[in-house]
Amino acid sequence: MLTAVTPSAYVVIVLLVPIVLIGLYSFGLMTNVAGTHTAFSTSDWSDFLTGAGNPFRGRFFTSIIVTVVVSGAAVLGAYPLAYFLAFVAGRHRYTVLLLVLAPFFTSYLLRVIAWQVILNNNGVINSALWQLGLRAHGHAITWLIYSKFSVALVLFYAWVPFVALPIFVVLDNVDRRLLDASHDLGAGRFSTFLRVTLPMSLPGVAAGFVFVLIPTTGEFIAPLLVGGPSSQLFGNSVQAFFSDTPDWNYGSVLALTLVGVVLIMLALFGRFIGRDLTQAEGEAA
Amino acid sequence: MKAVGRLGRTLLTTYFGLLVLFLYAPLVVLMVFAFNSGNIPSLPIKSFSTKWFSSAFSDTTLTSALLRSFLIAVVNGFAATLLGVMAAVTLARRRLALRTVVVTLILLPLVVPYIVLAVGMVVLLHQLGIATSLAAVLAGHVVISLPYSVLVILPRLRTLDPSISEAALDLGASELRAFWFVTLPLLAPALFSSFLIAFTISFDEFAIASFLAPPGSPTYPVVLYSSSRTPALLPEVIAIGSIVIVLSLALVVLAEVARRAAERRIEALSQAPPLTAG
Repeated sequence: MLTAVTPSAYVVIVLLVPIVLIGLYSFGLMTNVAGTHTAFSTSDWSDFLTGAGNPFRGRFFTSIIVTVVVSGAAVLGAYPLAYFLAFVAGRHRYTVLLLVLAPFFTSYLLRVIAWQVILNNNGVINSALWQLGLRAHGHAITWLIYSKFSVALVLFYAWVPFVALPIFVVLDNVDRRLLDASHDLGAGRFSTFLRVTLPMSLPGVAAGFVFVLIPTTGEFIAPLLVGGPSSQLFGNSVQAFFSDTPDWNYGSVLALTLVGVVLIMLALFGRFIGRDLTQAEGEAA
Repeated sequence: MKAVGRLGRTLLTTYFGLLVLFLYAPLVVLMVFAFNSGNIPSLPIKSFSTKWFSSAFSDTTLTSALLRSFLIAVVNGFAATLLGVMAAVTLARRRLALRTVVVTLILLPLVVPYIVLAVGMVVLLHQLGIATSLAAVLAGHVVISLPYSVLVILPRLRTLDPSISEAALDLGASELRAFWFVTLPLLAPALFSSFLIAFTISFDEFAIASFLAPPGSPTYPVVLYSSSRTPALLPEVIAIGSIVIVLSLALVVLAEVARRAAERRIEALSQAPPLTAG
């Protein structure tokens, strides 16, 4: 009994109760400012949702666009990699997969710092261009860092190897006889890819897309280090309301919005992930 | 027919090579500048030097933060694995009331953004009148490690032949004894993976720690972040970082080698003739 209840109870206390508290804060039912009258209020919500030119709503939509673009790019970048692993790498493909995945298991913060070193105004790329005489000394490429480009590049970098994983698993399990059949029926390699392999790999593609989409929705570390004022994401707004410019009630509106967005994404794409546990449910039933 | 033609092979292999370069370039950059005597990580490279390593190791803010993070990560590894075993054993049952609720709760930390969990825990502690502490950081790390731990342990638990622990029960062992002496040793490789994953998650975690670690005792990622914004401290960060990266790469390889060895051993065991034969 204790075994059955403890893990769930733990998640309830450490994760679910805080989210409920955030909900109460967002409606003004609780506050951290001593001596303030608390009463149910939707003013913070209506300001965020309907206030004319609300900057946080604007940032919210920008963030969603950045997230979707990064996820799409990561899938496009990972597909040929997964294809290489499944069809070209041969017998040692699992070792090659490990080579690709290994950087993913090193500190994310360190890798972002490394990109900062590469993209900086006096960083590796700019100073290399100066050394080679390709650019006037001291003149840095302006969009290389503190831009949407740098934030998107770092997020793409961080997730590409991980996205390759579900696509690789699907491609690796494609029945090779189907490809032979397609060939026997007169299809060339490209047409076989388009009409047999690609459609069969779509569940892996969808899973990979969601694998990036969900964690990058709340991202705030990369913008802190390589982003500029105009390339901060929605997660940075949440962070700011609980640190530098505290307003826990307004911050709770934004935090709950993040949770809501993730839940919507899960409702839309959830069936592509977490197969292990849901399949097990079916077996157990 | 091969799925990929000669041109396709060349293109894919080239792409793969470029991508590996792209993936390792930042890591290589850190290692190169860790040994560069210059004060700013910029080209041209000045001269070979190990001075940043010695200054990093004499910086007590950095070393004590490393120690703090290491200890939290070890405790997190054990705690998350313990909770993970409990959850996996529960989920492996054929009949389980409220299964969907339990599965949802266990997987929830995978999808809730860490920043939301972090500010939520700040609010919780505030409402309870408790100050932020390293224990709170640990509590947060356990909850985000739990789903990974379950996802590693549960599939292993499912592959175990139930007749093995039933045999122990028939021979008079109590449920707990059968679990401890029969099931748990068979789970060892999965427990080891779970520990490593939870350790790594905690050791690298920044969002939760940045909100919940008390100002006087930051964890290593928190120090890493603040030092990286101070140009004078950046070379030190790079030096320590390159050591951490080499160690984590070594750990990934070792874990994989160990996992393969364990899998081979278990495969060999399962192919052995049944005990009743002969």
